[in-house]
Amino acid sequence: MTDRSAKRFAGVVAATGEVPIFQIGDRVRVMTRRPVGHYRVPTYLRGKAGVVDAVIEPAAVDNEEEAYGRNAGSRRHYYRITVRMTSIWTDYEGSPRDNLRIEVFETWLERI
Amino acid sequence: MTETKHLLNRLPNDIGGLPADAIQRVDHELEPWEKRCHALADVLDFHKIINTEEKRRGVEALGAEMVGKLTYYERWIAAFSNILFQKGILTPSELARKMDEVAARWERDDSERTP
Amino acid sequence: MSQHDHDPAHEHDQPHAEIGHAEKPGYYDLMETAVRELLVEKRLFGADEIRRQIEVLDSRTPALGAKVIARAWVDPEFRARLLANGRAACEELGISFYDDTQLIVLENTDTVHNLIVCTLCSCYPRPVLGLPPDWYKLKAYRSRAVSEPRAVLAEFGTNIPNDVEVRVSDSTAIVRYLVLPRRPVETDNYSEEQLAALVTRDAMIGVIPVTVEAGR
Repeated sequence: MTDRSAKRFAGVVAATGEVPIFQIGDRVRVMTRRPVGHYRVPTYLRGKAGVVDAVIEPAAVDNEEEAYGRNAGSRRHYYRITVRMTSIWTDYEGSPRDNLRIEVFETWLERI
Repeated sequence: MTETKHLLNRLPNDIGGLPADAIQRVDHELEPWEKRCHALADVLDFHKIINTEEKRRGVEALGAEMVGKLTYYERWIAAFSNILFQKGILTPSELARKMDEVAARWERDDSERTP
Repeated sequence: MSQHDHDPAHEHDQPHAEIGHAEKPGYYDLMETAVRELLVEKRLFGADEIRRQIEVLDSRTPALGAKVIARAWVDPEFRARLLANGRAACEELGISFYDDTQLIVLENTDTVHNLIVCTLCSCYPRPVLGLPPDWYKLKAYRSRAVSEPRAVLAEFGTNIPNDVEVRVSDSTAIVRYLVLPRRPVETDNYSEEQLAALVTRDAMIGVIPVTVEAGR
């Protein structure tokens, strides 16, 4: 759960998914696709913008695929992101500083 | 034509932000079978016979009516049964016969207990 | 139905008492027993593994979490380790994690109040708190904790002033959460055990504070 900056040793090539794409502080947006079957990104979060709060280590299996028995492969990082409540709910009652923290798999995030 | 894609696009458990009533601070002591069911889930996950995410998907796949009407552990055991059938580990007939056998065993033991 | 020969599966089975001898097993109780017996017959796991996991589950109660919180209150270095890696710090105290989850401990301060929820299902820090209460798993809490946390907190009698930030953590994947509540000010002379006795499950979910009046 620490910020692991992408150290490089000359000549070492990282495999796909080994190195996190996003770092703490990056601004990201949750994608808006609408899967059927199984998903772990709640509908309320789709399309919302936030900031990466933590990079969860180590890279792990995509739980949306794991749900269909795929216990290996497809390892990438989960990111804990912070999203302001006022970004999610139009009629939010509370402090404008109130926020939500949630883990999102790398394939659901894009950089903004 | 009535639009139905919303039935597919939102899973029955995806309820964050939906309107709901006041919270009832209810709780109950688990029945023995519920505790066994929880232990079963953990053992199935440990062996990767049914992992925890498969269980979640299996519960969702029961559909909105069952998710709404079955209790928490009832949903689990129903989902396990379906997943075990899908994986070819059990068949529906096998489970049905075993359930009848377990029920008959209880009846027999119960009649032996009654003086 | 033939009943004369003692069923071979039955001989490997748990004693009858486990089926619930007081009243006839319900439909789902029968289903659970049938599934378990079939899988044991097919040697996918042993009956002893279920028994053992029941013991594991019975041993996990909010008292474990309370010990963690009390230790964090009295030992600043432990507190720092706990906030850096919740699972490792719990394991230091002998609280093993029987699954693959991680733990992030969320510190309440005078400017931040944390609340935990799982809107999609019922993710909860079971290795350190035991099983969640029904209300945590039901619709009202799961729908509203993310969208109107302050109203939810008020229903538990907890009013958070507007100059305090409310943070809601919604579990969806590997990480589980535990709230580290604020230590009540009147507890300077308390021993670690006395402190632990004040910490309730609901305070570690974040719906209520720890007070000297409340106890377990």
